[in-house]
Amino acid sequence: MAIVVSTLNNPWFVFLAERAAAKAKELGYESKIFDSQNNTSLETDHFENAISSGYDAVLFNPTDADGSVVNVKNATAAGIPVFCMDREINSSGAATSQILSDSYSGCVTIAKYFVETLNKKGKYVELLGLVGDNNTWNRSKGFHSVVDHYPGLKMVAQQSADFDRNKAMEVLESILQANPDIDAVFCGNDAMAMGAYQALVASGKAGKVKVFGFDGAEDVVKSIQDGKIIATGMQFPEVMAQTAAMMADQYFKGKRDFPKKMPVAVEMVKKDNVENYAAYGKK
Amino acid sequence: MKKVIKYIASVLLVGIVAYNSVYFKKLDEVKAGTTSFDAAGYAGKFWNEKLPPRLSKAIEIGELLTLLQTDKEKAFMTYSHALGIGNVKYFLVKGSGIIQSVDENQVSVKVESENEKPEINIATEYVFGNAVRDASGVIDINAFVNSMDFNNVSAEINKIIREKVIPPFRSKVKKGDRIFFSGAIELNKEHLSTRSIEVIPTDLKIIKD
Repeated sequence: MAIVVSTLNNPWFVFLAERAAAKAKELGYESKIFDSQNNTSLETDHFENAISSGYDAVLFNPTDADGSVVNVKNATAAGIPVFCMDREINSSGAATSQILSDSYSGCVTIAKYFVETLNKKGKYVELLGLVGDNNTWNRSKGFHSVVDHYPGLKMVAQQSADFDRNKAMEVLESILQANPDIDAVFCGNDAMAMGAYQALVASGKAGKVKVFGFDGAEDVVKSIQDGKIIATGMQFPEVMAQTAAMMADQYFKGKRDFPKKMPVAVEMVKKDNVENYAAYGKK
Repeated sequence: MKKVIKYIASVLLVGIVAYNSVYFKKLDEVKAGTTSFDAAGYAGKFWNEKLPPRLSKAIEIGELLTLLQTDKEKAFMTYSHALGIGNVKYFLVKGSGIIQSVDENQVSVKVESENEKPEINIATEYVFGNAVRDASGVIDINAFVNSMDFNNVSAEINKIIREKVIPPFRSKVKKGDRIFFSGAIELNKEHLSTRSIEVIPTDLKIIKD
């Protein structure tokens, strides 16, 4: 099995890839992990490599909802099933199945807590992920489907930081120059939440500005315990990775009738329930 | 003189080309414009045609809570729906009870039942999320090209609730009123807690004795 992952520069995706490889091995298959480095062209090279090298299935974490469709179609045309993990492509029939976190619902839950925590008023910043990824927009839309009903909550900046910790720190540092009086930051993933928290520490605002993330990464779960981050949406990458590998196994054994989309529920983690959770899933 | 006219004309031309070449839009506005799916129309049809038959089979909330205590697996297996994998499940419920308090974000109700008689909250402020869409069990994610269209259906269903269900109830309800309610609730199967149940309402009636 070829395991093609959007980036290995984020521990969450490293975990996703490693869990997929571990499950493939457990099921008796060889696998290799390919890092697309958030670059659709490099992803295309990996797919061409996978097709020409005779891989039998691709467990796939796409870089771009639209840009990755052609890679999936090429693999499918070559008779290689593709199982998307965590990130969606904008084609309902191209992939054999897509196992996706229910990011929208998770962010609706976080947003309700965001509104309650801020008592329906204040200034906030939103840090978006990769603009071409549907998860970015499902999270943002889930969040805004709640927050936008409260005119007392004013978004003073909405910028992409590409799901990247360092970029999030730089972006928020820049935003803080013009908006030093913000009350909260909503981040589309935990790497950006940690970057945002670093920027707040550097500016002496840690503890005064509430930070919300999404993923359930190890450092954020610990930061919630320590009171540094308010909440995150716990995704279950191991469930997604294992489901993708098991579906590939079933495909090899003749099964063809897979659900085109398989959502995985997201659960909110906050100070009063953090004891139920560990990084990337439940204890 | 001709040079000046040429110069001015060139500057104007460059200005017009530049003005028409660059547009500034919010990122979310650009993304919001990429779908042609009629979520409001879909939600309206769901509300009027698909949801009522499901609501007629909703379980009485006291009966559900009793079953959760005696046979949790059966309760989830028989009455919950969810779209995929995970512990978060949704139920369609109904019941009647006495209003205990009318607060900013919800009303509190002491349920009348032959079974469990819990005190529950009915959301009147935070009506968000997929509880009603998913509890019905009749909308299939695989019928949608992308998940954004699918999620917009929930946003429109919630809009119907906020505009049609809650205002006429909220404007009249007071402590001590006897009410009928139906709606959707969310429960986490692994970390089950029935102490603070919140109903997203689909129907609210003050009962005249």
